[in-house]
Amino acid sequence: MLAPTHEEEEAISTTSTPSSPPDLRAQKLKRVLQEPIVDMAQLRKLSWQGIPPELRANTWRLLLDYLPANADRRNQVLDRKREEYSATIPRYFDVDDTHRTNEEQTIYKQIQLDVPRTLPTMTLFQNQDVQQALARVLYIWGIRHPASGYVQGINDLATPFIILFLQENMNKEIRQIDPSTIPSEVLTRVEADTYWCLTKLLDGIQDNYTFAQPGIQRMMFKLSELVKRIDAPLYDHLKQQEVDFAHFSFTWMNCLLLRAFPMHLSTRIWDTYLAEVEPFSILHVYVCAAFLCHFSAELRSKDFQDMLMFLNNPPTQSWNLQQIDVLLSQAYLWKSLYENSPKHLNHR
Amino acid sequence: MSGDDASDSTSPPNRRATTHIKTHIMKSEDEYDYLFKVVLIGDSGVGKSNLLSRFTRNEFSLDSKSTIGVEFATRTVTCDGKIIKAQIWDTAGQEKYRAITSAYYRGAVGALLVYDITRPQTFEHLERWLQELLNHSDKNIIIVGNKSDIVNMRAVSTDQAKEFAERHNISFIETSALEATNVELAFTNILSNIHSTISANKGTTIDEDIPSADDNVGKSSKIVISDQPMMGAKQKDGCAC
Ligand SMILES: Nc1nc2c(ncn2[C@@H]2O[C@H](COP(=O)(O)OP(=O)(O)OP(=O)(O)O)[C@@H](O)[C@H]2O)c(=O)[nH]1
Ligand SMILES: [Mg+2]
Repeated sequence: MLAPTHEEEEAISTTSTPSSPPDLRAQKLKRVLQEPIVDMAQLRKLSWQGIPPELRANTWRLLLDYLPANADRRNQVLDRKREEYSATIPRYFDVDDTHRTNEEQTIYKQIQLDVPRTLPTMTLFQNQDVQQALARVLYIWGIRHPASGYVQGINDLATPFIILFLQENMNKEIRQIDPSTIPSEVLTRVEADTYWCLTKLLDGIQDNYTFAQPGIQRMMFKLSELVKRIDAPLYDHLKQQEVDFAHFSFTWMNCLLLRAFPMHLSTRIWDTYLAEVEPFSILHVYVCAAFLCHFSAELRSKDFQDMLMFLNNPPTQSWNLQQIDVLLSQAYLWKSLYENSPKHLNHR
Repeated sequence: MSGDDASDSTSPPNRRATTHIKTHIMKSEDEYDYLFKVVLIGDSGVGKSNLLSRFTRNEFSLDSKSTIGVEFATRTVTCDGKIIKAQIWDTAGQEKYRAITSAYYRGAVGALLVYDITRPQTFEHLERWLQELLNHSDKNIIIVGNKSDIVNMRAVSTDQAKEFAERHNISFIETSALEATNVELAFTNILSNIHSTISANKGTTIDEDIPSADDNVGKSSKIVISDQPMMGAKQKDGCAC
């Protein structure tokens, strides 16, 4: 990574949010959540630096605007939304194949192929009922969003929600949950909440999944322009080896980095994404840039093939939350430097 | 695609001849005579990723993840006395991704076109996949009917597929990535076909040691058959077939 320029150093000192110790932040967050009308600006600010696991489920619901800031209305909204989702199941999902259009059948089949291949190493996702719930969420989302339909990778995006809401309802860490002990009413709630949160998440990034995936194309292009500006030696090396940014960053964009990190770290990254005021896809590109540049030295010693193998399976298994904090701060810094000054990007 | 400056897909594969420089640091498995880029294509779920992992790592997994974008792996084999390094690109099967994945066909000199013998639709789609491929210059192609282990759910007969392959003048084989049946054969078949094609075509340029502009010291390959850049060879999973 290049040493920060004078300009960059200044940006660090003036724009970074003051970081308080985690337990203090948890207390503050708890207080904000208990207000009759949640101060969303405050909630975003505190969440940006990471949400304590026990507060995450409700905080995400609020950040995604699934729950209203007004506490009085929350139960009513939840009941109505869960009801509304449940009502779609017999209408869309539990129908005979002959009543599905060709497109719907294609979506249905693709989901049947993908559900067993979703987080296959977690016993939870091997459970029949959990798989059914996931299949319904994906299918109903897919046919209610015909501009994109279901696209592979959206199954990945649903998993953090399922895990989060199951943990909340079962009051247990995910690996401790025996899937056969999940009461059906719990799974029903989790399924509905997952559907709505996934819907809210995807609302902001729909053009990632429409024909030819223009949103992803744009992000990949922006990533390459950024790296050209930020880390020219790495950029030149990638070019010289004829590595295309699409070769490795397509998955990062399509699955919002879920496949690049262990789940607890991806979840931490999403805390920040959901806390963003602007569309999180902007910050996401900077996070990808910070991630790529983090491995700059290592990558520059590799050839085409070794680089792609490395980036397909980056060594993040042993990463910790502090490293994610560093990554996000770097992304934040670059975003504040470059986002509104495209001139920076144009000349080397 | 970002900064896409790769050569026109209709241009013939590059045939670069470079000097073979031996240095003592190089391990023997780093050496190869040819580098072939081969793509695995076909509908989602037919078993492309598992064919790849079976061939390159001798691994199979009933619950692998779906492929997003592109993944790749390599393996070195010996064919007709030549050391061939296969660089195999595994693409995503969903129709949605077609616009993106077809860019990865560029530079490939061979394709394994895979269907699932238990799902007739994946076989019916072969025609479409072939079209896709032919739009991307002529390649050596083999049709692979995978999951031959699932005997009681077979929905595409061997004869039917054979007939289709003959009509298109393409090789055909049935495999099981799960039981490791014919996987080796499918890959070596296409690699040796590519090799015989280029041996038959090879003009004077290919065997001569012409140092090219981008000829790097330490690169052990002699001939790269692909539009991809000449790549250093450091793969450790090499093994002869
Ligand atoms: N019985 C059997 N199952 C197989 C075989 N090959 C693959 N499978 C299974 O079929 C499913 C799909 O295999 P993948 O290798 O992921 O399929 P793919 O073609 O790569 O799919 P996409 O990445 O979605 O394009 C997995 O559950 C595999 O375990 C085989 O030879 N026999
Ligand atoms: Mg695959």
